[in-house]
Amino acid sequence: MKTDTDVINYIAALAKLKFSNDEAEKFAEEFQQIMMHFNNLDTVDLSSVDMNGLDQLQPFLREDVLKIFKNEAELFSNVRDFKDNYILTPKVIE
Amino acid sequence: MAMETVIGLEIHVELNTKTKIFCGCSTEFGAKANTNTCPICTGLPGTLPVLNREAVNLAIIAGKALNCQINTLNKFDRKNYFYPDSPKAYQISQFDLPICEHGYVDINVAGANKRINILRIHMEEDAGKLIHVEGKPVTLIDYNRTGVPLIEIVTEPDMRTPKEAIDFLVALKAILEYSEVSDCKMEQGSLRCDANISMRPFGQEALNTKVEIKNLNSFKEILKALEKEEVRQKELYDFKEAYKIKQETRKWDSAKGRTVPMRSKEDAHDYRYFPEPDLPPVVIKESTLDAIEKKIPEMPEEKKKRFERQYKLNEKEIDVLISKKMIAQYFEEVVSHEVSPKEASNWIVGEVMRILKESDRIEIPGKYLANLIRMIDMGKISRSAAKDVFDTLWLTDKTPEEIVEEKQLIQMSGADELEKVIFEVIEQNPDAVEAYKNGKEQSKGFLMGQIMKATNGQANPKFAMEILLKKLSQMERGERD
Amino acid sequence: MNIEKATIEEIREGYKTKKFTVKEIVKAYFERIYKYDDTINAFITLCEETALVEAQRVDEKIRNNEKMSPLEGIPVAVKDLICTKGIKTTCASKMLENFIPPYDATVMTKLKESGAIMIGKTNMDEFAMGSSTENSAFKITRNPWNLKKVPGGSSGGSAAAVSAGFAPLAIGSDTGGSIRQPAAFCGNVGLKPTYGLVSRYGLIAFASSLDQIGTFTKTVKDAALGLQTIQGHDPMDATSAQHHGTKNYAIHLEDGIKGMKFGIPKEFYQEGLNEEIKTAIMASVERITKMGGEVEEFSLPITDAGLSAYYIISSAEASANLARYDGIRYGYRTENFTDIDTLMLNSRTEGFGSEVKRRIMMGTYVLSSGYYDAYYKKAMLFRKKVKSIFNDAFEKYDAIISPVSPVLPFDIGEKTDNPIQMYLSDIYTINVNVAGLPAISIPCGFSEEGLPIGIQLIGNLYEEEKLLKSAHALEQDLGLCNTIPTLKEVL
Repeated sequence: MKTDTDVINYIAALAKLKFSNDEAEKFAEEFQQIMMHFNNLDTVDLSSVDMNGLDQLQPFLREDVLKIFKNEAELFSNVRDFKDNYILTPKVIE
Repeated sequence: MAMETVIGLEIHVELNTKTKIFCGCSTEFGAKANTNTCPICTGLPGTLPVLNREAVNLAIIAGKALNCQINTLNKFDRKNYFYPDSPKAYQISQFDLPICEHGYVDINVAGANKRINILRIHMEEDAGKLIHVEGKPVTLIDYNRTGVPLIEIVTEPDMRTPKEAIDFLVALKAILEYSEVSDCKMEQGSLRCDANISMRPFGQEALNTKVEIKNLNSFKEILKALEKEEVRQKELYDFKEAYKIKQETRKWDSAKGRTVPMRSKEDAHDYRYFPEPDLPPVVIKESTLDAIEKKIPEMPEEKKKRFERQYKLNEKEIDVLISKKMIAQYFEEVVSHEVSPKEASNWIVGEVMRILKESDRIEIPGKYLANLIRMIDMGKISRSAAKDVFDTLWLTDKTPEEIVEEKQLIQMSGADELEKVIFEVIEQNPDAVEAYKNGKEQSKGFLMGQIMKATNGQANPKFAMEILLKKLSQMERGERD
Repeated sequence: MNIEKATIEEIREGYKTKKFTVKEIVKAYFERIYKYDDTINAFITLCEETALVEAQRVDEKIRNNEKMSPLEGIPVAVKDLICTKGIKTTCASKMLENFIPPYDATVMTKLKESGAIMIGKTNMDEFAMGSSTENSAFKITRNPWNLKKVPGGSSGGSAAAVSAGFAPLAIGSDTGGSIRQPAAFCGNVGLKPTYGLVSRYGLIAFASSLDQIGTFTKTVKDAALGLQTIQGHDPMDATSAQHHGTKNYAIHLEDGIKGMKFGIPKEFYQEGLNEEIKTAIMASVERITKMGGEVEEFSLPITDAGLSAYYIISSAEASANLARYDGIRYGYRTENFTDIDTLMLNSRTEGFGSEVKRRIMMGTYVLSSGYYDAYYKKAMLFRKKVKSIFNDAFEKYDAIISPVSPVLPFDIGEKTDNPIQMYLSDIYTINVNVAGLPAISIPCGFSEEGLPIGIQLIGNLYEEEKLLKSAHALEQDLGLCNTIPTLKEVL
């Protein structure tokens, strides 16, 4: 599966990351190698594996009981722009 | 070329839980911005979701009320996309194994039953609210709504006219409201609807390009928007410019009265769904399903049939009474205090519905309304006086008896008192009496007027008329009592 | 007493017999830290003030002969990806350089309730991605045994802190070996419990289905004491084990290993494994046999494909877990933006280091449409296969013996440029995380150059008791507990 800079740029856009052309090229090469390595998964026989077989995880639910987070002021203390109890961002155009 | 319209709907419904789907924050509407929040629903690093049992229960109830099959093993997935109203940059939703599938709602189209099929219902978390500030390059984010439990109901593209879509929504809303799954208030956002509409030649099985319409804030807007879009698409087909119909999302602009293309957010909506590793699968036991089945309240259809049988009212009346569960319950409460169903229905369909337009709750205890109706039956007050009492009952805590007393609305119904007055009136108006004897019917009215005047309007007209006529006929026979 | 050699057990005993006060112990550790940590760089944040206040409180308790909690007065260093309320938690990333969590991780609450005293937050690879702690955005931690060498990663700071005698207990996290490998490189005991035994609430996520919190200690007994405190079901973590986490591990610790069966996967001992490491491990195997354990070679055909599955799954989960860092609600925010898109784009591009970006890209790639079936789905299927392969193995064996790392601690800067080489060196540890099993790394020898060598024991799900018992027996037989680095201050 060929990985060229177009694919890298598309993936970067999905991940909200930006790369220079040089970086993108380097990435493309690395990816190529890494993905080729991942192809060793194809050598394994996976036909008998049950995808939805019950896992280690036991179902767990919580009750519909109110739990108020008491440190309201600190909850938003890491926000850069917090005014009148709103978080401010540059205008979002729909 | 005869074209048919194909409509499918995606409805988001906020579930009636006390707390959010993955944390213990309140779901109450109208709180000050960012006060129903905690590290979990604001997506702080290190936090984890834990599923609210009640959300699952309500989703099951919704599924059953909508005739769906419940997937007793279902799971959550992450839907990945960047948008400021989504603090984790992924929404926890259900992708390939939703909680309910393959249901339906029956509606009435031109006298016949039509089944609108529901493809699936899944649980997911709501996003926050973005508030745009006019004239400033700033958007405000409020995370109160983030994490409120939602179910998304997706229909098959079974609707063929905008009206059918509305009829479906009305029926759906009634069912959800009745099952107490949600309060379904579009104005508060607890019910939201996006519509998908396309057109194709009659007889063609394949679907043509569909357009998604968003920003529909009321049933009226949905109807208008679908009608407008139907027209737009039809014109393009008629002028052989169908290629201009793109698969896109259009926004309904109610001010302009038309749909406009939305600015596309990301090139591809590659949501990269994968199973949510922080949540175990949802396993619903048979015993849970049975217990929930028993708890499902009477649905609109059932109630309608029962009202027909039990109260013998006509369809139009019943439709109003069952339009909201609260109204149906109220009706039955009033009737339980021994007044006739017909009377109760008249008052509710008339006066209660009139005032309910402005208000949310019925402010008169059923017992009070029942007592008021009884007072009319017994002739204690006139019907018009009762309407006055009704308005006051709505606004105060007083009993009908108290209000009638205060306003001195008790009709004179007692035979003795009335007789006395009527006797006097007859004595004082010999000409009118003479005229009546000679066949002038209007004099009767004149005499009634005099009786009402003499009693300050408090005479019970029915009784007064009875007594007057008796007296007059007695006089005719030349007797006096 | 030589504080740098002290174990939790010894300190507890000392408090009980009033040999020294808590304040003295805490002060002694801080003295060492001020003397050596400028060179070692184990810590990102130090909490001397609060530690001394806590020490005072515990000393009061001791004076009043009050009942002591299990870790009362024990200093603990915490990896900087565990949320500590009111105290900076950075994940060694520019992205969270000034992030102050408004809440404590569950493990912190448990430690506090147990009386432990946090002395500081330790250095790590950025967002736990890496095997050398060189990916930290702030500083490079040096291996106390040889300052030119890496301490391993991603919990390098915590490992170095215990080896350098800065604390008797350090908390780390292990997603693909991030506790066991630094424990091996730094010559101490690193324990990764069964997935779900310790709550992940408050652990800043890298790969949700692989991350697990564990401990660094000088001895296996100390590890048992540590596990005792941090384990347990947490209703804030839906993946935390509901029916385990209440066992007392100290009870059977000294029972010995006679009759226990140990498996050695032959695929683990093929080419690529450093000869000195192989020799040291084989010597330990001899010891196990001499003590009455039955050792047998068997086939565990998972190594290569397991590595692929691990990297696919962990990158995929990481790409989603790290998507929340966009500069809006917390974390690094770029000064350079024109609208919301560029705000997010630039904050992320500038705030993340290159290894983190690489993993995010890999994860986004394997999940994107068109590639999901080819990579992610296959990896998930293989994961189930790995679990069943291990399950079969544990029908025959009580524990599996394995190397921790195929290489000895390497030079700082040696491997940084070659990501694939880095990934390959996780070969012995990642499958344990893929299967969710518990594993422990203990020192089993030294290379000729004097670099520590670790041996790994892997147990079946929730069988920490057997694991700790075997590790303890081997550790006691090896007698290496008291060997500590001399800490040459001069490079």
